Amino acid sequence: MSDKNNRSLVVVQLSGGNDAMNTIVPYNNGIYHDSRSSIHLTEDEIIDIDGSLGFHPEMLQIKNLWDERKVSIINGIGYPSPNRSHFRSMDIWHTAESESIAPDGWLGRTIREIDPEHKNVVTGVNFGRGLPRSLQCRGVPVASVGNLDTYGLMTDIQGSENRDYALSFFSRLYGPHLGRDVILEALGENGINAMIGADILSSANEKYSSSIEYSDTPISNNLKDIAKVIFADVGTKIYYAQHGSFDTHAGELVNHAKLWKDLSVGLGDFFDDLKEHDKEDDVAVLLFSEFGRRIEDNGSGTDHGSGGVSFVMGGSVKGGFYGEQPSLELSEQVEGDMKYNNDFRSTYATLLDQWLEIDPVPILGANYEQHDLFRKG
Amino acid sequence: MTTISSKIKYKNTMGLAAMQGRGFYYPMDLAFDSSEKIYVLGRGHDGDPRGCRIVVMDMNEEYYGTFGSFGNENGQFIWPSCIAVNSKDNLFISDEATNKITVMSKEGNYISSFGEFGSGNGQFDGPNGLAFDHDDNLYVVDHRNGRVQVFDEDGKFIRKFGKPGDLSGELNLPWGITIDSKNNLYIADWGNHRIQEFSNDGDFIKSIGSYGKKDTDLIHPSDVAVDLKGNVFVTDWGNHRFKAFNQNGDLIYSTRGEATLSKWAHDFLNTNIEEKEARSKSKLVFELPGFDKDPHEESSHVEKYFWSPTSITFYKGEIIIVDSNRHRLPVYLVS
Amino acid sequence: MSNADVLLMAHLMRRAGFGANKGELDKLVKNGYDKTVDYMLDNDPNIPVSEYMIRRYQPDYGASLGSTTNGANWMYRMIWSDFPLREKVALFWHGIFATGYAKLANGKVLHDQIKMLLKHGLGNYQNLLVELSRDPAMIIWLDNCESHKGAINENYGRELLELFSMGTGNYTEEDIKEASRAFTGWTIANSDYMTLKCQRDSVWPYGRLSMHFEYNPDDHDEEEKTFLGETGNFNGEDIIKIICEQKATAKFISRHLYSFFVADEPPVPEWPYKEPNDPEAIEMLSKVYFDSGYNIKEMLRFLFKSDFFKSEDVWNKRVKSPVELVAGTLRLTKEFNRPSRDQYFTTLNAQYMGQWMMSPPSVEGWHWGTEWLDSGTLVERVNFSSSSLGNKDNIGVKEIINNIKSSLDSPIDSEKLVDASLEQLGALSTSENTRSILIDYADSNLDSSEEINDEEIAELLKFVGAMPEYQRS
Repeated sequence: MSDKNNRSLVVVQLSGGNDAMNTIVPYNNGIYHDSRSSIHLTEDEIIDIDGSLGFHPEMLQIKNLWDERKVSIINGIGYPSPNRSHFRSMDIWHTAESESIAPDGWLGRTIREIDPEHKNVVTGVNFGRGLPRSLQCRGVPVASVGNLDTYGLMTDIQGSENRDYALSFFSRLYGPHLGRDVILEALGENGINAMIGADILSSANEKYSSSIEYSDTPISNNLKDIAKVIFADVGTKIYYAQHGSFDTHAGELVNHAKLWKDLSVGLGDFFDDLKEHDKEDDVAVLLFSEFGRRIEDNGSGTDHGSGGVSFVMGGSVKGGFYGEQPSLELSEQVEGDMKYNNDFRSTYATLLDQWLEIDPVPILGANYEQHDLFRKG
Repeated sequence: MTTISSKIKYKNTMGLAAMQGRGFYYPMDLAFDSSEKIYVLGRGHDGDPRGCRIVVMDMNEEYYGTFGSFGNENGQFIWPSCIAVNSKDNLFISDEATNKITVMSKEGNYISSFGEFGSGNGQFDGPNGLAFDHDDNLYVVDHRNGRVQVFDEDGKFIRKFGKPGDLSGELNLPWGITIDSKNNLYIADWGNHRIQEFSNDGDFIKSIGSYGKKDTDLIHPSDVAVDLKGNVFVTDWGNHRFKAFNQNGDLIYSTRGEATLSKWAHDFLNTNIEEKEARSKSKLVFELPGFDKDPHEESSHVEKYFWSPTSITFYKGEIIIVDSNRHRLPVYLVS
Repeated sequence: MSNADVLLMAHLMRRAGFGANKGELDKLVKNGYDKTVDYMLDNDPNIPVSEYMIRRYQPDYGASLGSTTNGANWMYRMIWSDFPLREKVALFWHGIFATGYAKLANGKVLHDQIKMLLKHGLGNYQNLLVELSRDPAMIIWLDNCESHKGAINENYGRELLELFSMGTGNYTEEDIKEASRAFTGWTIANSDYMTLKCQRDSVWPYGRLSMHFEYNPDDHDEEEKTFLGETGNFNGEDIIKIICEQKATAKFISRHLYSFFVADEPPVPEWPYKEPNDPEAIEMLSKVYFDSGYNIKEMLRFLFKSDFFKSEDVWNKRVKSPVELVAGTLRLTKEFNRPSRDQYFTTLNAQYMGQWMMSPPSVEGWHWGTEWLDSGTLVERVNFSSSSLGNKDNIGVKEIINNIKSSLDSPIDSEKLVDASLEQLGALSTSENTRSILIDYADSNLDSSEEINDEEIAELLKFVGAMPEYQRS
């Protein structure tokens, strides 16, 4: 296993509720065929895994990583009393709190734990505008990068010479003599940190070189930006990106395929890039979604359900199945959905404890049984 | 509800709220082609533009597919507003954000577009209502310019009439338009709370309605339709009602709406049984507790009422209304 | 008119509204300070663009299927209202009665709560708490629809006392239970279907439905209750009446008003342990609370006319919340004078800076003050205000540039240009250091051989938008 200090976690949020049943497909289960009369995937289409489950046909690159034993599939993931609202269920995954509305996110708390004194302003980096709740935590700075090429302060000043010149004035405006009261102190400190963060991230952009050509999709662009920051070795531990929308109430066969194709191609390139830079063992990628979908389709798609699938991937990951594939028998269903059999916080706890090597209990508020997700030694 | 004429009767409701597949998200307008297919133009909303598209269906709620999307490319829309079909079954769609009229085949292939921002001939400031006369000339309500422009079938400017104002024949942010069997024009003069009738040359003929909440009044009407007898059907957008007037301008029908579950809505509830059960135990019609007598508020509470209806079409003895905020199409029979 | 009057008016308008440019300030100073305060409090604001106009172009702003258009609709009012004190007061209450989208999944119901705050927020506090307790979004948010006779849910009873009126340490756990019993039967119509639709985020079949309050006498606990030492067969209104009579309530509300309108107080959870920054001011506000019969308008009238508010010591002693920063900037730039699609995306900037209207992080609302600032959000704040104020295509910026030009004699010197810019953007005050850096920048940017052009002024305005002082209120 890699050196703890070099490890980082990349979280990719599959927004909208990924249909777990059409992702890891129980393709020769009669109930699957019966309940998915309009949108089932057949044995000819899927990529077989073990004679009973198969990958969605567009998950080719992920299948290749699976064959290299770098993909763990966590079936039947969820939490007690499933909520089928996008917002509330996502909030539960973000805060790791399913009973009440929690004030901050699990990754925000993780960053606070890793870097309590904010020595590194880029310990956590989000790719996308606006911080998801999972990264929010009082007093924890996280940079939100829409696009690494254009990230920075006063970006509407054109021309790099002009901008450098302008930024020299900015640094004087926020210089050390600023503090005369708490507000100015806070402004001064954060202003300078914002400049440092922007500098670090733009240098990562400049330093990057690779033979991999990513495709031009939003998720591939984000994964490429993440790779750039990883290779720059600037101490970032948590990366975050979103992909969607998986809210496939209609036209699921077409839409769901496109979503997984973009993600699978992006992840394939990302892992090739990691390999080329000898970073494969230092990165773990978590894919999660707020819920799964109904077992029965609605004619052209599926409505909100529960019981999902998550993935953890990486060179240090011990590939295989975790959790159990939920039974589709009527008696085992929860209101027409697959029943969860492992709490998502077990996966969080595993990533915190075994990968980032920090105590999961203060972050998750309780002790959760862990999976055995990583190779030892 | 005031029912004066027994010749207008509620028939059924079509549609479902959906951004993809069967259904609409903020539908704005619809048009029929020669084979009785309906093209429903959806706006979507600024936070999620997936509903910005055209859905093809028929009066039996048969779903034939969807095309068009949000964007700046040819065949895409930003704020699509109205749709009309000419005698060759080509679709014309107005977009009040890009100031363009887009022409598409009925299969959804982009053909051409015309228009740009401005107040000159062939320029628009917010194109809205569209209608074809018997010679396939296209009438475009150019709403912020307070006028109607007429184009030939190639999009070549022919003439224009109307100017902004509130006198007879003047227009204040007009919206929908229709053309009757005599080639006369009826325009929903939104800002002046009235329907105006014009000759084909643009001469003012008559006006129906004025601001108010009474059944005979109108608040910001969005669209108008006319039957062969000269009855005038209006979506009273600001009062959230469907009203009908005879050719003398007397009210013959007014309703807040009585929408029922569509086929697609039944399908949804049958695959989501908990919702169906909870719904069946609910009292969806009730005494309205106040809301400052604001019909927008009242309609937000009572599902069967119209909520911001944006378009009305008379087609072979039936009235089809686009009930925009409720994402559905209530249908009425006219005998 | 003296400069001191303008500066004081600028302070008032930043706090009672979202700021004002120099031309607006001059007019207000002519009317006089006290008259301006009275006018704002006693008159309905004028909003030149009607809700009809918004709904015609942006139907979701009125129907609110989404989680963000409701906030964007509110932003229109903040930037269009001639005196947006109502909006400011509603924002104040929204921060305290924080109700969020995550559990509701219904933007309309949340927007209805804001409309309730606009209507009642300046009135009698007892009445406001009754309206709040009847508010459908609140009833779902804090589970009062799940609180039944014989099986109470304490969530609303607890937060009513802890977060909405008295603060911890002034009541017992038993009081919470008794208050909760008194609120049994306060629910919404069709509560099972409505809560199911929330839980399933359902827009089907025909969009979301608004909700309304329903009192269910069969589910109301009619037994005797003892609350804060008083005993009787209390209903919710009685509990609120007793709450409003408490000194702790007067102090709690006074402290909130002071923190929002005068100067940042420590975070609310620290209040039981930390005395107010200005105990005398809190005392005086508490007295007005009782003297006026819990009237918020009179408390604010007193506050805005008080010496502690007018004192230069509290000028700029608040960090602008993201919504204040965005609304204030858009009032200067005037870039949205009619419904516009861009307005939706511009409003999202408040969310990027950490304040998603009608989706606060928790029941505690947002943490104000310096907690708005971190290196991530500051990038968003600086980039937004700098690019907006520096865009000379914006109508308001054009006006400001013209006013700057016409207030200067030639030849232009950088010092005068900087002072005129700060003046026209609303009599902004800066440190001497900031001012001298702006002068240096203007110096290096000005081509002295030519007449000053709009572009050069816009470049300077970018820096005014980026300076630390612009982040303060």
